[in-house]
Amino acid sequence: MKIVLDRPRCEGHGLCEEAAPHLMHLDDAGELVLDREEIGAEDVAAAKAAARVCPVAALRVE
Amino acid sequence: MSAAIGRVVVVGNGIAGLTAAHALRDAGYDGELTVVGDEVHAAYSRPALSKALLADHDDLTSHRLPEPTHGAVELLGTRAEGLDPDRRRVRLAGGEELPYDRLVIATGSRARRLSDLPGEHTLRGLDDAIALRDRVAARPSVVVVGGGPLGMEVASGCLARGCEVTLVSQGTPMAPQLGDHLAGVLVAAARERGLALVETRAARLEAAGDEAARVVLDEGPLLEPDLVVSAVGDVPNTEWLAGTGLADDGVVRVDERGLARPDVAAVGDLAAFPTAGGLRRIPLWSTAIEHGRVAAAALLHGESAPPLRLQPYFWTEQFGLSVKVVGDLPPTGEPTYVEGGPGGPALMRWDGAAAAVDHRIPIPRLRRLAAGAPAAA
Repeated sequence: MKIVLDRPRCEGHGLCEEAAPHLMHLDDAGELVLDREEIGAEDVAAAKAAARVCPVAALRVE
Repeated sequence: MSAAIGRVVVVGNGIAGLTAAHALRDAGYDGELTVVGDEVHAAYSRPALSKALLADHDDLTSHRLPEPTHGAVELLGTRAEGLDPDRRRVRLAGGEELPYDRLVIATGSRARRLSDLPGEHTLRGLDDAIALRDRVAARPSVVVVGGGPLGMEVASGCLARGCEVTLVSQGTPMAPQLGDHLAGVLVAAARERGLALVETRAARLEAAGDEAARVVLDEGPLLEPDLVVSAVGDVPNTEWLAGTGLADDGVVRVDERGLARPDVAAVGDLAAFPTAGGLRRIPLWSTAIEHGRVAAAALLHGESAPPLRLQPYFWTEQFGLSVKVVGDLPPTGEPTYVEGGPGGPALMRWDGAAAAVDHRIPIPRLRRLAAGAPAAA
């Protein structure tokens, strides 16, 4: 599966990073960086958890 | 996990209930799960309602959350009307009873109102937001009563849509939430954008014809705009818990794991958790998420589940400024500037709190700053 970021929508709250720190992080400028976009079955739950806590729905897992 | 848990009911489909439902699955619970929500809408982002959704450019998608994956039976548009905690049954509108082994109470809160007048508008749910957005399109004159984050965001959104806006506040807007310094920054931005501010000891509403309301200030003056919006706090939705002993003082008191009793958790806006300042409701998005996670684990695993360790995170967007704050709120006194300075983008800290104004920053870093760590990334 794949993590998709809607970048214009991202406001840099970083709640996703707290949910899945091994998959994504905010860089020094506060921009979200997806460390992995293609993910295996073992990371789907964490990726979905990250998508669900975003208050502006900027992440999708598909 | 106890083999006895085969039915969990979550009452409330806001972010607290939604998170609890997902967290139950994440913790390995694979039994029956039922989510009851009084709104017909799928769960949505409430913070977005008073921010992007009010704006003209928003395409009515900013509040949408990903589809749930908890696999629950969802009873949407259904209200819970009663609870029998001894027989472990939730009574739904219409009389149907839902039995459970474990229950999550997440019915949130509603807008506190100043009157029953139809001319008093509030913003709490998605339907409210869409109705307000439609009304504002005609560029009415607006009075917002209430100087908290919601009132200020509504005022900001109405100004941006071209309305003439007056905000009525007891004391300086935002000061009770964010302290004098940040309140000063926001109020200066609000004035610069044309917000008229009126401070009053008290305000009440009275009817102005069949549909409209006017605002009567304690000091005498009357305000008669086209549209009155009040944003004067929230009232927990605990009426359906009457007689259970779980919500005798209008909130549901829970322990540090979100449990009101071993088989019942309460999360989100109606739950009073133990904090350093005593039992408190902290009705914020990030708090509801943390509550949901902690309580789901506690329902399944009891005292071996970790307790809540909350460092509240709050953000607001108003009058062109974005403010993110972590820690003990409101911060008191003047901050130390870590980056930037007064009048521009800045990163600042107090003892126990940190804030970023128009400054993108990883929230974990803001959390470290609030906790007193060195300023380096």
